[in-house]
Amino acid sequence: MHEVAIVDALIAQVEEEVRRAGVSGRVVRLDLTIGRLSGVSVEAIRFALELLAPGTVVESARVEIRQPAAVACCAACGHRADIDHVPAHCPRCGSRELSVEGGRELLLESIELEESPP
Amino acid sequence: MKIIAAKKILKANEQLAEANRAAFNAAGVLAVNMVGSPGSGKTTLLEALVAALRGRMRLAVIEGDIAGSIDAERMEALGVPVVQINTEGACHLDATMIAAAAQGLELAAADCLVIENVGNLVCTAGFDLGEHVRLVLLSVTEGDDKLVKYPPIFRGSHGLVITKCDLLPHVNFRLDQAAADMRRLAPEAPVFQVCALRNEGVAALADWLAQRRP
Repeated sequence: MHEVAIVDALIAQVEEEVRRAGVSGRVVRLDLTIGRLSGVSVEAIRFALELLAPGTVVESARVEIRQPAAVACCAACGHRADIDHVPAHCPRCGSRELSVEGGRELLLESIELEESPP
Repeated sequence: MKIIAAKKILKANEQLAEANRAAFNAAGVLAVNMVGSPGSGKTTLLEALVAALRGRMRLAVIEGDIAGSIDAERMEALGVPVVQINTEGACHLDATMIAAAAQGLELAAADCLVIENVGNLVCTAGFDLGEHVRLVLLSVTEGDDKLVKYPPIFRGSHGLVITKCDLLPHVNFRLDQAAADMRRLAPEAPVFQVCALRNEGVAALADWLAQRRP
């Protein structure tokens, strides 16, 4: 439900990056990374883009979203597993000594522009 | 041409905090961000609050720690729905972590979500989590000078809880000084004196929280 705010921030950020690069043209592609533990729904991001993109710099951009999983690591048995949500217990030994790596990314990776002829 | 940005989309944690707050409002949940030093008694106070609010407010808890799930286990033992966040070294919780953790809780089935932040009087001050109430704890063993030395965390708080008050005879903590400094930093914030282990002063805090439900 916070995806609208995120897309709003994203569009502002793309505008800022394009302005700073000093180029004019149409943004044709955006690459995002949204980790599976980021608390962000990719579906809702796409919906928010449909709502917010028209009339902005990203209106004709294809949006590619990479969704890296997080890795849970059990300190007790050494089990490592890709996860979509943080489990309460290690699925192998039941220990609660779990740590989590990654999965919380929320990044604008790159912007591709089709430059307009001078 | 391609512009490599590689930047966090949410420069502004605040935006996400606002979204969290909207979600808490929609669910009718009072969100409380509990901050204080390590050992100030956050979890012990929370245990006392669970008992004091039983039958009045249904609690849910998000526990923030750098590692481990000791606090979450203490909450589970009381039958409170809880999600543990391990920050893996980060010294505070942020709005993103809360948004993710809240997905693990049934907010509509709670009246009050208590977020126990990482024990830290510094970094936690900079991150709005989307809470309605920030409650700062200060134990009498830490000394009354902490308000002067770490003003931001007290300034942005809505209530001060002075904990471990049973130890007052043994330490040189000046209650009047702490209260005066809090009045200066946060004029509207009430000051509660509690001893959670003996369940003293907890009822007043529980009443105050119960009145603040959105």
